[in-house]
Amino acid sequence: MEEKLTREELLHVANLARIKLTEEEIEKYRVQLRKLLDDVEKINEVEGYDDDILIACWDQNTELRKDEEGSMLDPKQVIENAPRHAGNYIEVPVVIGESEGA
Amino acid sequence: MKYLNKGIDEIHELLKSKKIKPIDLVEEAFENIENNKELNAYITLNKEEALKEAKELENLEVDNLLFGLPIAIKDNICTNGLRTTCGSHILENFVPIYDATIIEKIKEKHMIIVGKTNMDEFAMGSSSRTSYFGAPKNPWNLNKITGGSSGGSAATISARDVLFAIGSDTGGSIRQPASYCGIVGMKPTYGRISRYGLIAFASSLDQMGPMTKNVYENAVLLNAIVGRDPKDLTSAKRGEEDFTRLIGKDIKGMKIAVPNFLMGDVVAKEVKDKIKETIALLKKNGATVDYIDIKYLDQAMILYQIIAMGEASSNLARFDGIRYGFQAENVKNIEDMYFETRGQGFGEEVKRRIMVGSYLLSGENAKVYYNKALSIRDDMRTEFQKVFKKYDLIIGPTSVSTAYDLTDPMDDPRKSFMDDVLVIPANMAGLPGMNIPVGFDKDHMPIGMQIIGNSFEEAKMYQLGSFIEKELSLDLTPGGEKSC
Amino acid sequence: MLNYIPTIGVEVHVELKTKTKIFSNSRNGYGQMANSLTNVVDLGYPGTLPTLNEEVINLAIRAATVLNCKIRREMFFDRKNYFYPDNPKNYQITQARTPIGYDGYVEINDNGEVKRIEIEEMHIEEDTCKSAHRGTKTLLDFNRAGVPLIEIVTKPCIKSSTEAKLYLEKLKELLFYCDISDCKMEEGSMRADANVSIRKKESDPFNTKAEIKNIGSISNVGLSIDKEIDRQRRLYDKGETFQPQTRRFDDKLQDTVLMRVKETGNDYRYFPEPDIPFVILTDEMIEEAKKGIPMLPDERRKVYVEKGVLETNANKLVQNRPLSDFFNTLLEEDIDFKIASNMLLGDISAYLNREEKELSETTLTKERFLELVKYYQDGTITSKNLKEMLDTILESEDSISDIMKKIGIENITDDSEIRTVIKDIIANNPESVSDFQNGHDRALKYLMGQVMKETKGKANPRLANEILLEELKG
Repeated sequence: MEEKLTREELLHVANLARIKLTEEEIEKYRVQLRKLLDDVEKINEVEGYDDDILIACWDQNTELRKDEEGSMLDPKQVIENAPRHAGNYIEVPVVIGESEGA
Repeated sequence: MKYLNKGIDEIHELLKSKKIKPIDLVEEAFENIENNKELNAYITLNKEEALKEAKELENLEVDNLLFGLPIAIKDNICTNGLRTTCGSHILENFVPIYDATIIEKIKEKHMIIVGKTNMDEFAMGSSSRTSYFGAPKNPWNLNKITGGSSGGSAATISARDVLFAIGSDTGGSIRQPASYCGIVGMKPTYGRISRYGLIAFASSLDQMGPMTKNVYENAVLLNAIVGRDPKDLTSAKRGEEDFTRLIGKDIKGMKIAVPNFLMGDVVAKEVKDKIKETIALLKKNGATVDYIDIKYLDQAMILYQIIAMGEASSNLARFDGIRYGFQAENVKNIEDMYFETRGQGFGEEVKRRIMVGSYLLSGENAKVYYNKALSIRDDMRTEFQKVFKKYDLIIGPTSVSTAYDLTDPMDDPRKSFMDDVLVIPANMAGLPGMNIPVGFDKDHMPIGMQIIGNSFEEAKMYQLGSFIEKELSLDLTPGGEKSC
Repeated sequence: MLNYIPTIGVEVHVELKTKTKIFSNSRNGYGQMANSLTNVVDLGYPGTLPTLNEEVINLAIRAATVLNCKIRREMFFDRKNYFYPDNPKNYQITQARTPIGYDGYVEINDNGEVKRIEIEEMHIEEDTCKSAHRGTKTLLDFNRAGVPLIEIVTKPCIKSSTEAKLYLEKLKELLFYCDISDCKMEEGSMRADANVSIRKKESDPFNTKAEIKNIGSISNVGLSIDKEIDRQRRLYDKGETFQPQTRRFDDKLQDTVLMRVKETGNDYRYFPEPDIPFVILTDEMIEEAKKGIPMLPDERRKVYVEKGVLETNANKLVQNRPLSDFFNTLLEEDIDFKIASNMLLGDISAYLNREEKELSETTLTKERFLELVKYYQDGTITSKNLKEMLDTILESEDSISDIMKKIGIENITDDSEIRTVIKDIIANNPESVSDFQNGHDRALKYLMGQVMKETKGKANPRLANEILLEELKG
């Protein structure tokens, strides 16, 4: 029998990713994700891990931007691509729960 | 009368002397694209606007080599007012309200954008078959894949629709389709070209580059699109340079390394043989070629999987149906909307990678996988730097095989990574990599050689590439010159 | 009823006073038309990338300095991943692993007892957009998306609501004085969360904590902490426990109410932001940022008192930053600072309040104020004169002496004119002169009185005094 993720494990990552899956997809991905995760698991065999991380691929540091205002969008442009809007606002279906962030 | 099969210097003279007008080239390009419609190389054509621009150019001075020349753009690069889908249902009707920096540069040169080329959805794939708009086909054999993810760009160049195309390469997506389609594809050093406006797949790996039928035209296009961009903090502080400057110079004394990993068992014999023939040619002409081992190369694919999928899971979070793009209908609440929009909007490969990426960053996993991958990647780059202290360039095959059948199964999630196992290391170390056609297999499908250079040494790669191109003088037009 | 020891930690979000946003060059503004202060970066458009505002780093260094934090010289940003409509990219760019400041403290003065509130860390991040819930819909305004924030997190070292309030007042004063933030809680440019738990003994492990989010004023922070301590105590007294939870302060109920019970560990999937390479803070950047730090409130209070200002007045001055800044420009001058501070906080403040003006909107300059103080000091003008003259002083460019003349307060500064008068007085008062020569100081006062009487109070008293002494000794 093929190795696969548990249903709970798969639904957990689908939840993190906010992706709705059909029953068929759930079964398929349980097998497929296991295969990919077996691959990346091999990183544990690689030696040499320290705190030096390479965020970008060379040694250039961030150049800061001057605090000067640039051009901004017209509110009409802001709502132009939004599937739903009301006046100048972008609209979303009712929000449940409170913001997690700042 | 056909002009787009000529070299750009000749076309430039014709334009300058007013023997032809930009609109002649644009009309010819659209005629070619129409004749090659079955290739499915384009998702969106920009015909009306392109013809209008061509007309407007008639009043301007022909001030540079690229003036008035048609160009095709991969559909993950934002073009103001021109639909940009990323090969996905979720952006099927998305029209950007700004131009990518590379598009601004192309427009400054008065090149004319003919359309947006087909690609794997969000550049995730190695055969362009994950495109929501159907797979493009290989001009050398319509039953074969183009490779991917820049399959549409590779196909339209290979078919000689236009002279220039832009692709993007996160884990080989310029070089690998270039190899399958028998064209020249350059992924420059990470940071050479501003990523501003390139819809991100894996931010620390993504890089755009030119795809052309020959080395010289590739270098000329690269000249036009590089440069530091204040809008992209990861763009390199490098001035402009002439990438054609070493083309035609001889390669005597050039020191070349061939990593044993690139000539390993996974590579088809036909491919290896062709690379060996090329190596013999280089030796005969005074280059030294050594087979060497480079540490971590065999781990590059794992690092790639972790970094690319981890970053992608975050980069693609913004596609939520609120500010732009597809939004699912009949949803109960906001959470429902997220799940339905993304469940319906993304294709299978994309969903799979986003979920794996979410897993890799989840809880303590970020430390175990992502941060460790970043750390080993640092070591890997150091290994490459050691090699480049002794050698000018690294070469090897671009892909493990030639293009396979469009109908080959797609059910193995590891397949698309395996296809790119030879091209991924350059992305991991931020190094420039290029494909140059070196021959054909028994079915007359193109075989490509990969040249990897040290950071910011693209000119040297073009030097070697142009030498091989000249020595081999292959007929790289599918079906032969006469059918063109 | 048992006694419990409260443990309180406070997290404060402060919007930085920059011209533009942290990761884009659109305007950092408040109270404008919805979605009029944005660009494609703020909206999280596909393909857009962040840039990093120099002034944000500058202000953050300044804040770290005044909060006595250690400053990290090499830092990067992290992505905090979570889906919410007010979060345009569905990740927030923040600093999880390398906060710019750490291990700092702020000193508070609780009724004469000085205590250090320890700061765990302060980091830079972006604000979310504003969402308004309307029936079954939510409306989004992205003007606030990308406004720069610093988040300041204390250690769980606060013991009472009073300490928490004093800490917030102190923080507000410091950040406001350094031009780091407006710190307007009512506009949301300063927002506070409090973590509260209680236990019986210091040696006990910490109990379950409740987080009270987004409290709208400092006094409500105090109130909500007290209410929360009380709620927890009543539960424990009944032998009950509670789940870790997030609460909010309800203005109408004047109490905290449950928002949600915390799920076990939010999975934010933090990882280093690949679009922003390392940020290196150089000595020059740090020095430059420190230049923006003015004399701090505590130092001001100390200096003012040393200069003779009453302690209550010193406090009042510090609470009014424009007056305090003006006062600071006088510190090197040879004047009576008590008189100067009284004048600023008394008649001048009354005028400003009445006219709803800032000091900078009046015509008062340092030079004119010094002149005014000197006339007052030497008695040329009385407090009654000052009241008569003040509107004119603050509304015209005329010199103080011209204004005095206009309203009839003349000041004879002509040396010879005064001398003539004095010579007459000496000649007519031989007794007083000999009293003076025998060491009776009272005689001098009498003679001065005669001079002022003779000149109808118009002689410059200091000048008159000098001349009188000269003539007496001559």
